[in-house]
Amino acid sequence: MAVSGWLVLLVAAGIVPVVLLDAPVVLWWWLLGVVVLIAIDLLLAASPRALRFERELPARTRLGESVTARLLITNPARRTLRGVVRDAWQPSAGALRTRHRITVPAGERRAVETQLRPFRRGERRAEHVTVRSFGPLRLAARQATVAVTGALRVLPPFASRKHLPSRLARLRELDGRTSVMIRGQGTEFDSLREYVRGDDVRSIDWRATARRTDPTGAQKLVVRTWRPERDRRVVIVVDTGRLSAARVGDEPRIDTAFESSLLLGALASHAGDRVDLVMVDRRVRGRVQGATGAELLARMVEAMTPVEPELIETDWAAVPGIVRSVTTQRALVVLLTTIDGVGSSRSLLSVLPQLTEKHLVMVASVSDPAEVEAARQRGDAREVYRAAAAERSLLDAGRVAAAINRLGGEVVLGAPSELPPAVADRYLALKAAGRL
Amino acid sequence: MTVLTPAARTVARRTVFWVAAATFVVLIGLLMMAMAGSSAESERLAPSSAAPAGARAVTEVLRDNGIEVVEAESLAEVRDTLDGSRSGGSTLLVHDVRGILEGDRLQELAQLGDRLVLLEPDFAALDALAPALALAGSVEGPLDAECSLRAALNAGTVTGDGQGYRVIDADANATACFGSGDDIFSLVELAERDRSVTVLGATAALTNELVAAEGNAALALTLLGERPTLVWYVPGPADLPASDAPITAYLPHWVSVISIALLAVGIAAAFWRGRRLGPLVVEQLPVVVPSGEVTEGRARLYERNATRLHAIDSLRIATIERLARRCGLPRTATVDEVAAAVAAIAGRPIAHVRAALVDSVPGNDAELVRLSDELLRLEDAVERALGGPRAERGSPASGHGSPVARSSGASTSPTGKARRNARNDGSFDERHAPDERNTPDHG
Repeated sequence: MAVSGWLVLLVAAGIVPVVLLDAPVVLWWWLLGVVVLIAIDLLLAASPRALRFERELPARTRLGESVTARLLITNPARRTLRGVVRDAWQPSAGALRTRHRITVPAGERRAVETQLRPFRRGERRAEHVTVRSFGPLRLAARQATVAVTGALRVLPPFASRKHLPSRLARLRELDGRTSVMIRGQGTEFDSLREYVRGDDVRSIDWRATARRTDPTGAQKLVVRTWRPERDRRVVIVVDTGRLSAARVGDEPRIDTAFESSLLLGALASHAGDRVDLVMVDRRVRGRVQGATGAELLARMVEAMTPVEPELIETDWAAVPGIVRSVTTQRALVVLLTTIDGVGSSRSLLSVLPQLTEKHLVMVASVSDPAEVEAARQRGDAREVYRAAAAERSLLDAGRVAAAINRLGGEVVLGAPSELPPAVADRYLALKAAGRL
Repeated sequence: MTVLTPAARTVARRTVFWVAAATFVVLIGLLMMAMAGSSAESERLAPSSAAPAGARAVTEVLRDNGIEVVEAESLAEVRDTLDGSRSGGSTLLVHDVRGILEGDRLQELAQLGDRLVLLEPDFAALDALAPALALAGSVEGPLDAECSLRAALNAGTVTGDGQGYRVIDADANATACFGSGDDIFSLVELAERDRSVTVLGATAALTNELVAAEGNAALALTLLGERPTLVWYVPGPADLPASDAPITAYLPHWVSVISIALLAVGIAAAFWRGRRLGPLVVEQLPVVVPSGEVTEGRARLYERNATRLHAIDSLRIATIERLARRCGLPRTATVDEVAAAVAAIAGRPIAHVRAALVDSVPGNDAELVRLSDELLRLEDAVERALGGPRAERGSPASGHGSPVARSSGASTSPTGKARRNARNDGSFDERHAPDERNTPDHG
């Protein structure tokens, strides 16, 4: 049961007759009358327990987009329901308005629409619906909370897909180049074609030229063309350990890692490579294997959606085994983790040789632009101390990067907005150089 | 559809135990208060108190002997009782334990009754009722009668703990008993024309605890049982000087009703605003770890321990690395080589460059700031000598093994450099440096 503001006014109005009639006993009669009215109102209110609820909402949305969640309310009773409905969503579902005034005549159905704009990735849930049903006098209401669950999967935003068209254009440029531009061990022979002016004379295939007999008798030179290697393996390993929980700028490191892997996945699957994703800390939190084409991205975002950073140390010793379980061929292993200092990166450095022995390893890490900024800020003593600490952190990260380089790995560092395109660019560079 | 809100019947069933338990506790409490209330009067010499310091034993024995004992708490009660008392007169015992009686009321008391017994009267009471006596300090130990008063003779020896009095008016018709030396007495009877005032200081003799000891009982019964009625008067709150009329007398009489009405409005409003529209929905929130906290913590550690050399060394190592790269020296170049190259490029004395890069030790924070500014200026000078900002290192695709850590740092360098240029613009002179440094919110 609940009461309305009208009831408070009604009780307050009792003061008037008390003063006018100058009889204290009037107050007690007045209050008794109010109680009787409340009882009548409660008896005449439609029962909120008899209502039937249904939810209509999209199964998934991207972070940053808004969706409409519909709640259908059926009133099977013989009384009209007048009241307030609250659709109870989790706070981070970003419901703009959760309370709705509603009137459902007997035997009819009405819809309540709630605008949702989730501000956190993952599964956002609605737990229950609360209905407050007022009687005809609007003084008192019957109230009931009914469990009507609903869930909306909020996928990672993939904001870095704006970088995809330019990278795909670069990828196409790699196609069909002659060997002078991109010759390397890894590039594959594509086709033979007629020599045109400007082609490198070194790419002339003399044997093919000799075999070629032109009906007109004129001898045409034939050159070989190359295309970028295809069907390579790319294994993306996302570190979901405690270091990935840190916020750089306004974004946890793990979200930047997801953005980077989505961009890389999209690019590599367009380039014809096979992409696998593993999210790991002490155990595997998510895995996408054997998906290709458009299905790959869909499965990647699905797998990423529920993953949150765990406050435990990542077990790097298990990573070579996980990579081996994904593929036994040579692959590009992209480790999306954090290079912070020698101490926290020791376990990563200790297993890196096992990976570089067989695979090409790229380590990508988010660097903090605030740190670079702080290193330049030297106005007073306090700022100089902070600059010294920032330089020390940058030096530590630099030492780890140098150590990874020495062990044969590639290092990509970047601010949260710069890391995804940087990873994609490095992938293209490796592909162009035929190192995959 | 599962309804989460429990039905009214369920709520009633669930709360019935607690309602019953609360009622039970309240009942027990009321019962105990009622029981304790009968013996709660623990005031000294309260006539109905059975506590050791009470005087119930005396009043009960007096009643058994056919004397009507009336307990009075206000002067009005005393007057009524004395007016309607039996023939043969009555004894008025006054024990102003709370010191309530004052001037007028004491005067009025003096007119009431012809036989007055004062227990431990204070100065004001003595002044009004027995001006021939004066307080003479407290008395202890058993006392002998040593006088001709019947009550004292009956008693012989009594417990004398209590107050002592001295007769200061030699003309008064006073009989003093139970002397404890130095003209101090614990029982004095002042006889006037038609009335007598008896002052008893040895009140311990009347307590339940000691009434059976020595001759205490005889003293009490003889003193108080002389007349058929005994009025035991302990002044109460009703005897306090009447204050002015209460404030409610000036207000309309419906004000109190309105306050009740407002209370009802308040309760209704509390129910109106206090009822929640369904329970909260819980959500597990992620941990928020600010990434810069290690750096910040380290900075505060440097600052608190004033490890200036350590701090400046971090800055120097980074600067030397940048300078070496800028001058085109290999990573393996020694500090001396870097210093020599920088001195040549920037056109500065090598000792000066070496001092900034290696030698000088900052003694205080001001020197630390000066040294760090010096490092920035050195970098700036090299930058300027080599002509404009360094071109960005090639795209991240440039070869393997290139320390991209630098390249990402370099991407922010143009803005940083522009800022530094602005700082040093026109104030490259050493003399201006301190002024520049002292502005606290610089940059």
